[in-house]
Amino acid sequence: MKKLLVTLGIDPDRLEMFNLSAAMGPRWAQICTEFVEKMRALGPSPIHAAKLKKQC
Amino acid sequence: MIVGSQKPFPEIWEMVRGFKKVLVFGCNTCVAICHAGGAKEAEIIATMLRMKAAEEGVALEADHLAVQRHCEPEYFDPVIEQVRGYDLVLSTACGVGVNFLTQRIGTVPVYPGINTSFYGAVPAAGVFVELCAGCGNCILHLTGGICPIARCSKSLMNGPCGGTDKGKCEVGKEIDCAWYLIVERMRELGRLERLAEIQPPRNWSTARDGGPKRIVLEHIVAEEAEAKK
Repeated sequence: MKKLLVTLGIDPDRLEMFNLSAAMGPRWAQICTEFVEKMRALGPSPIHAAKLKKQC
Repeated sequence: MIVGSQKPFPEIWEMVRGFKKVLVFGCNTCVAICHAGGAKEAEIIATMLRMKAAEEGVALEADHLAVQRHCEPEYFDPVIEQVRGYDLVLSTACGVGVNFLTQRIGTVPVYPGINTSFYGAVPAAGVFVELCAGCGNCILHLTGGICPIARCSKSLMNGPCGGTDKGKCEVGKEIDCAWYLIVERMRELGRLERLAEIQPPRNWSTARDGGPKRIVLEHIVAEEAEAKK
């Protein structure tokens, strides 16, 4: 899937997969927090940016 | 089975660009097994087309659909009217499917989403190898069940060329020398002396050189005609 994103010009870091059990709540929360921070650092996706531009 | 691989996405995008309503039409038999053109791959391509269209700010409706086989009308006839509702069908079936659908769809263009590569087998998960060339004149009984037409890079009929090297082909180190395999197999079968028989020049008219091929089973055609009376 990461390769497909690269084909579309989208940073592959925008996709991650984690394998967790239902009992790993704290780890899940940590992953979510870290991933949101990572996305904020990367900024809007090219698709989102294009959609916003179209609306203007 | 027929083995293919997905066309590079930029090539697909160039084909699709300019159409407004596109159906990515998958086939769930051979090309699904080789992860090139089944329902799952058709859905992924349709999604990528929508994402690319959004990125470029162009209007494109891209849907996906798949049937079990594209090479028999019984499988796609039930959805043919739905398929005709698109500006373009991007077929992820093999080339047979693209041709066959083209003959039956009417005025909607059918473009290929995959490159149809060869007839092959699956020796390990994710690995596909060519084993038959569909040449129409099988000589596997003479070569220990190993096909020199498909598996020798030069399709030689009377032993290896000078490019054989420790069981590998000069074309690529990952390619087995078919004639090495044939000799070893015939030795194993106790029939090595059969390879001393010189094979005459081959009649290629049963293969591509003979033009498009056709097989008609008269008894089935007659039964069908009788049933329609």
